[in-house]
Amino acid sequence: MNDSQPLETATTSIQAPSGAPDAKTRRYDRQLRLWAASGQTALESARLLVIPASATATSILKNLVLPGLGHFTLMDDKEVTGADAGNNFFLDGMKSIGKSRAEEGVQGLLELNDGVEGVADVRDIKRVLKSDPEWLKTFDVVVAHNLDSSILDDLADLLWPGTHLVVVNSAGFLAEFSIHFREHQIIESHSETAASLRIDKAFPALLDYAMSLPLDTMDITDHAHIPYPVILVRALEEWRRECEQVNGPSSGQGAPSNAAEKKAFKERIRAMVRKFDEENFEEAESQAYKCWSTTGIPSEVRELFSFYSSSASSSSAFSALVSALSQFAENNSASPLYTSGLLPLTSTLPDMKSSTDEYVKLQQMYRAQAEAEKKVFKEYLGRGQVSVDDASVDSFLKNAHALKVLKGKEWKMINPGSKELLATKLTIQPRESATHLALVAVRSLRAKGVLSPLEVHSDTTKDAPMADALDKDKLKEFLTAEARDFLPPGAELPEEEWNVASGEIARAPSADIPTTAAFLGGLVAQEIIKMITKQYVPISAGNAASSGDDQLGVCVVDLVETWTGVI
Amino acid sequence: MVQTDWDGRYYHIDQILDTPGPRTDEGFMAGNGVKDFLRNQSKILVIGAGGLGCEILANLALTGFKDIHVIDMDTIDISNLNRQFLFRPKDVGKSKAIVAAEFIMNRVPGVKVTPYFGKIQDKDDEYYLQFNLVICGLDSVEARRWINATLVNLVDPENPESLKPLIDGGTEGFKGQARVILPTITSCYECSLEMLNKPTAFPICTIANTPRLPEHCIEWASVLEWPRVHGDKKLDTDNPDDISWTYNVAAARAKEFNIEGVTWSLTQGVVKNIIPAIASTNAIIAASCCNEAFKIATSSAAYLNNYFMLIGTESIYSYTFEHEKKANCPVCGGDSLPLNINPDTTLEELIEMLTERQDMQSNQESIIVNCFKAVISASSAATGGSDQT
Repeated sequence: MNDSQPLETATTSIQAPSGAPDAKTRRYDRQLRLWAASGQTALESARLLVIPASATATSILKNLVLPGLGHFTLMDDKEVTGADAGNNFFLDGMKSIGKSRAEEGVQGLLELNDGVEGVADVRDIKRVLKSDPEWLKTFDVVVAHNLDSSILDDLADLLWPGTHLVVVNSAGFLAEFSIHFREHQIIESHSETAASLRIDKAFPALLDYAMSLPLDTMDITDHAHIPYPVILVRALEEWRRECEQVNGPSSGQGAPSNAAEKKAFKERIRAMVRKFDEENFEEAESQAYKCWSTTGIPSEVRELFSFYSSSASSSSAFSALVSALSQFAENNSASPLYTSGLLPLTSTLPDMKSSTDEYVKLQQMYRAQAEAEKKVFKEYLGRGQVSVDDASVDSFLKNAHALKVLKGKEWKMINPGSKELLATKLTIQPRESATHLALVAVRSLRAKGVLSPLEVHSDTTKDAPMADALDKDKLKEFLTAEARDFLPPGAELPEEEWNVASGEIARAPSADIPTTAAFLGGLVAQEIIKMITKQYVPISAGNAASSGDDQLGVCVVDLVETWTGVI
Repeated sequence: MVQTDWDGRYYHIDQILDTPGPRTDEGFMAGNGVKDFLRNQSKILVIGAGGLGCEILANLALTGFKDIHVIDMDTIDISNLNRQFLFRPKDVGKSKAIVAAEFIMNRVPGVKVTPYFGKIQDKDDEYYLQFNLVICGLDSVEARRWINATLVNLVDPENPESLKPLIDGGTEGFKGQARVILPTITSCYECSLEMLNKPTAFPICTIANTPRLPEHCIEWASVLEWPRVHGDKKLDTDNPDDISWTYNVAAARAKEFNIEGVTWSLTQGVVKNIIPAIASTNAIIAASCCNEAFKIATSSAAYLNNYFMLIGTESIYSYTFEHEKKANCPVCGGDSLPLNINPDTTLEELIEMLTERQDMQSNQESIIVNCFKAVISASSAATGGSDQT
């Protein structure tokens, strides 16, 4: 349950005070335990546009309608063909053939959740791009599955950067998708790394308490109930004082650094044991590494300080919070021994061997210190121009050690991506990059008219589709020539990986098979939920604050060997 | 017979079935041969009609499997509706297997889904022998171990048909895994038991004497106070009144000890051991399971070898690897573990010894089965009839 919410915060705000939750909370219980009421509210106010009503597109929508997305529009100007009725679970089989794909799809999806608003739009996206571009920008997210390059290019230009465009492409067992955003800020990243307990930089109340315990004379039962942070702080302080006698003042720094010192330190803890079965001391020994893992500002967070101080967008709540955090890191007046280089303390303690009283006492010490540091933080925050509500401040401080700001790329930067970057990627992640190139190449062949547009294929009432007339080997050759054009002169396609990727595409260039559709449906919906709730970490082209440019931010899928990869 | 295969119905999937790909086995019978097998001859069993099961049934039906059986002993609860998309509010209280089967048959013409509302343990070897493939979408470790052991025991080296590929999926929040088990050939479910996270168990003395977390107070209320007050009446974790009672008692204890954080929702979560679950993760894992079933049934492409693990919490991280068979696996391993017993040991004592063995991680039921085999093997060894140990 590492990725789940602390349960006490998960549903409290939307449950009846008498205890038992209402019907809506019961329905959403299993997801509220992940993204809580705040995530649910975000999801319920999100507006999504999905084009067209393909099997993959409706699968994505299904996984967003079920958890309670606010609104979706499904846009498709085509009628249901026999092929659509065969691979799309949200159409009504043969009965849907000949009817509007958008209308039939919306009907099938709305059955899943009457709390969701869904609208069918039977216009052609090409026309809407010309007639109603502003309306397209009213959506939070637009999902495009297997759209023609010409439409995608215009749509991407129009939507950047206000509306997130999610581009999904698939053929047979292969697929890829990307999300387009400039910057994505995440406070609740649900990191599995816990905030530091500051064993190595104990705050005064904790240090005083640890040093005040008469370890050798106190009641033996109490001795067996001292929580491990207290034991470690005591042991480390005694170690430091002994070092000072030899080496001079260390101003509260220093910890065992080499293997011999660490071993000796653990023996020191063992020597503190008075009775053979004191589990709290065993726990202290196993947690001793906390003495020599230095508490500081994680580098990802530190990078944000300079990023936001130089960034022009300093009027947002997030940048105001980061700015206050960076000032706090410079000067934390609530911590006289360690005034700089710390994030505000959090009061969340893990469970540990201890009596109730000792545990609660420790919890209160952490809480008091956390409150004092929050006060300092809020003073810095108050000096800025932006006012931030208390709940946001609390959430920010609780997650400060795991803040994330991601950067994304524009569609034209990853379709297919710069020649140099692709050449590098092909050597580092050959199978992922080859699959990406093969999917870009097939789209490019469609744009050039070498392959017919997708809708021609699935309409079996028309003449034999072009792709069927095109020999598989010929198609592979075309794909190879196309892909070579995406690479700098002299760069080679990796033979085996390219043979596999182009061979899979040539086998099923226009197949939206149910299993790939369902797989993508889940994968893309997860990412959209992460984007909308601003919780957990979606795929990206890297950290916004880092200068490197070595990621496309595209997720590639191969369902023959069954792997996914982000390039 | 009513003609249900309209023009173009399999346009998409037939692109795969009409031509081999670069990673297709040479034995692949492209075209009508493979289509006939998939659509008219293969018979597949789905265990579980819940979060994964609903998805699995829909995918199998669209992929072209037409004879599908499904087993589930559960009934539909309102908290299932955020992901189990074959169920509606009007279905609450009904059998998952039956409602799911009816839904699929209405939606996908020509597919026959045979539901069984009951336990997998109700069925015998003969029942399991009728299927070509088994897919599991279960939330119980014990049920998985049972079906795994059953399918391993079913394998008769003389009869290749007795080897039933087992495809197993599982999810938790944004994470999940799918795997292909070829009983006796690849690593089995039992081989990988140690990969499971140990369930959080709070020591009874912590619960009784030194509670620190809200969970400790809830355990006190449900494990110690409930039987003291209610005697033989079991706590019904599906009954809101029982949860409310537990919540109130836990909250009072928490107040007494200055512990914060006991809520109704947490109480329910601890008492029922609730695991977060969302539609999207189930969709990924179920799709992966069905994709493997499709590839195995058709030989249209190489299948997963043999474990796919997905973590969606931080970007999309997945890891595909071959989980190795454990030589001394108590279910599929050929090796034996030494165990010294004296001739006076009773079967009951033996079972107790085995249950306590950490390296066996066995439950009583599987031990009894294996002990029974051991007894048979020992007696036949005594008569010189077997070289097994």
